[in-house]
Amino acid sequence: MELKICHMYPDILNLYGDRGNVTCMVKRLQWRNIPVDVQRMPLGTGKSLNGFDLVFIGGGQDFEQQLLLDELKHGKAKEIKAAVEDGVTFLTICGGFQLLGNYYKNSQGRCMDFVGAIDMYTQGDKERLIGNYKFQCCPEAGGSVVAGFENHSGKTYLGNGVSPLGKVLKGFGNNGSDGTEGAHYKNVFGTYSHGPVLPKNPEFCDFILETALRRKYGTAQLAPLDDRAELSAHDEMCRKLD
Amino acid sequence: MNFKAFTAIAVCKLLRLLSRLLHRGGTAMPGRIALKICPELLGILSKDVKTVAVTGTNGKTTSARMIEEAFALADKSYFSNKSGANLISGITTEFVMNCSLSGKMRKQYAVIECDEAAARKVFGELQPQVIVVTNLFRDQLDRFGEVTHTLENIKEGILHAPNALCCLNADCSLTSSLALDVPNRIVYFGINKSAAGNNSPSDISDATHCIRCKTEYEYSYISYGHLGGFRCPKCGYCRHDAQYEAVDILEREADHSTVIMDIKGSRSLVRINLPAMYNIYNAAGAMAAVCEMGIDSETAVKALGLFKCGFGRMEQFSLGNAGAKMMLVKNPAGCDQVIDFLGNLKEKFCLVICLNDRSGDGTDISWIWDADFEALSQMGGRLQKVVVSGDRAADMKVRIKYAGIPEENVLVEKDYEKLVDFMEQQNDAVFIMPTYTAMLDLRTHIIDRCGGAEFWE
Repeated sequence: MELKICHMYPDILNLYGDRGNVTCMVKRLQWRNIPVDVQRMPLGTGKSLNGFDLVFIGGGQDFEQQLLLDELKHGKAKEIKAAVEDGVTFLTICGGFQLLGNYYKNSQGRCMDFVGAIDMYTQGDKERLIGNYKFQCCPEAGGSVVAGFENHSGKTYLGNGVSPLGKVLKGFGNNGSDGTEGAHYKNVFGTYSHGPVLPKNPEFCDFILETALRRKYGTAQLAPLDDRAELSAHDEMCRKLD
Repeated sequence: MNFKAFTAIAVCKLLRLLSRLLHRGGTAMPGRIALKICPELLGILSKDVKTVAVTGTNGKTTSARMIEEAFALADKSYFSNKSGANLISGITTEFVMNCSLSGKMRKQYAVIECDEAAARKVFGELQPQVIVVTNLFRDQLDRFGEVTHTLENIKEGILHAPNALCCLNADCSLTSSLALDVPNRIVYFGINKSAAGNNSPSDISDATHCIRCKTEYEYSYISYGHLGGFRCPKCGYCRHDAQYEAVDILEREADHSTVIMDIKGSRSLVRINLPAMYNIYNAAGAMAAVCEMGIDSETAVKALGLFKCGFGRMEQFSLGNAGAKMMLVKNPAGCDQVIDFLGNLKEKFCLVICLNDRSGDGTDISWIWDADFEALSQMGGRLQKVVVSGDRAADMKVRIKYAGIPEENVLVEKDYEKLVDFMEQQNDAVFIMPTYTAMLDLRTHIIDRCGGAEFWE
């Protein structure tokens, strides 16, 4: 067994601890003696997504996100879309999550075309949705309760055929009004839980890893780890939010 | 002086007196109320004071202490906002405490550290003679927003103070871009290639692409983070020559550095009374500010060798057999510099990390995953133990675990009294990395045990 992870745009989409997710996935595979190969795909490398089992895309500031639009237009959007349809596992966060949608319209009405891999769009707003929050993943996404931190001014609305990643238990989620959080489409896990969402949500992390392994090898059963430290951080935040 | 200003001054002084009687700092609240009574109070009071204002992400307090030391040595009559209350309210309190009831300022000069988000309003009121911008890094996104937003705040502040001379960090492409948009006179400070050495670029840079044309920068050298010899291959925006520049580093010790500094073309040997690379930047910025205020460079050099910072910035306590040192951390860039400092030590040590997530720290602790705690696992047997504490100790413990430190070497201790007990029992040196509000709390407990100054002193 081996997992090949692609870290897309680590040079520009690396806002606030995003790389903690890659660290977390790598460690949890290594602790189970599953070889893992992480490749960085910075802007403009022209590398293909072929052969990767799991793709991670983090969040970025507006300045950096604009840099991407050109690259998306010139073929990358198509490639990402194809990989999503093909069932490659994706973890996308905040800006990276928005990126997979159809478009982003900022508060001045300017529209940016995004990848269009998931039928959803994001509407910029003046007010920012900030704070610790928690949500419960839907059963198809593992069903675990995830504790995270959100900080976004974009409000995301899902199309009819797209199910959310989960239901907001405390906080804002996609838009602060419909109770949805993130998106779960094919094997894409998209969330607003920015930065290091995986380290203190080991169940969520393992579910994503298993999804990728199952697609590659048919079955996947990860051995349990000593998660006392992780769960103690998780439980503490969940209690704080009650 | 109008009646409103007079009332505001009287109320402010009274509130401060009451706060001190109640053993509170009273650093910000009196000024806040005074500004409600008379919104233009700070502008009125600062008219007759020659002010140096220091802003930027990291190094404000240290730079201000360095500048202040030079003012003291030059026998200038000055005051400063030493307490760290660096919003418009705290700065106003400080001005009121240094004027008479009739509003006449008692001091000629002021050294004011100013929060980077507050700079927008404060600079116009202060009309500083000199403004220092230390650097810009990602910091407390939940409060400041994106780093370019902070840059805009500072720019707006400077535009309201067109007569101020600006000392900008030449090596920071974000900071030095201010020169493109403001009419002010500019001088630059920095560390040149031969002094900085050539460090590899970090995975996490806050400015990889040109702020003007969005092309990826090329670097001739990197000192740390995104600081160094940047150049945009497309539009030509590049590092400006610095008039105040460290050109050679002779010593990097645990408690000081010695450098050669080029000061407007002449070279001086400078001992900086604090260790670590980032304090060399602070020293170069302070040197620029002091010289541009008209104080001779010999006095400035002397000040850098003598100043003491305290208040959580490499502050030394006589605790335990080998002493304890407190090093405030607020963001990944500053944290990496502290870790780098620990990596250069020769002795065995214990590390205490106190992570809080209150509004003074930033409520988002994601940044701990951007900081290079992995480097701790490369320090081998020198790192004896790690203790995690603070409101978010559990998250810090997870971070340390994934950084590769064996769990049996990591302790959780959230009770500060017991934590101080622990530090007292150590034979090895103790280094404490607290976030801001954890620093305030823990410092109080340590001072109760072994002495030290109150935070406003």
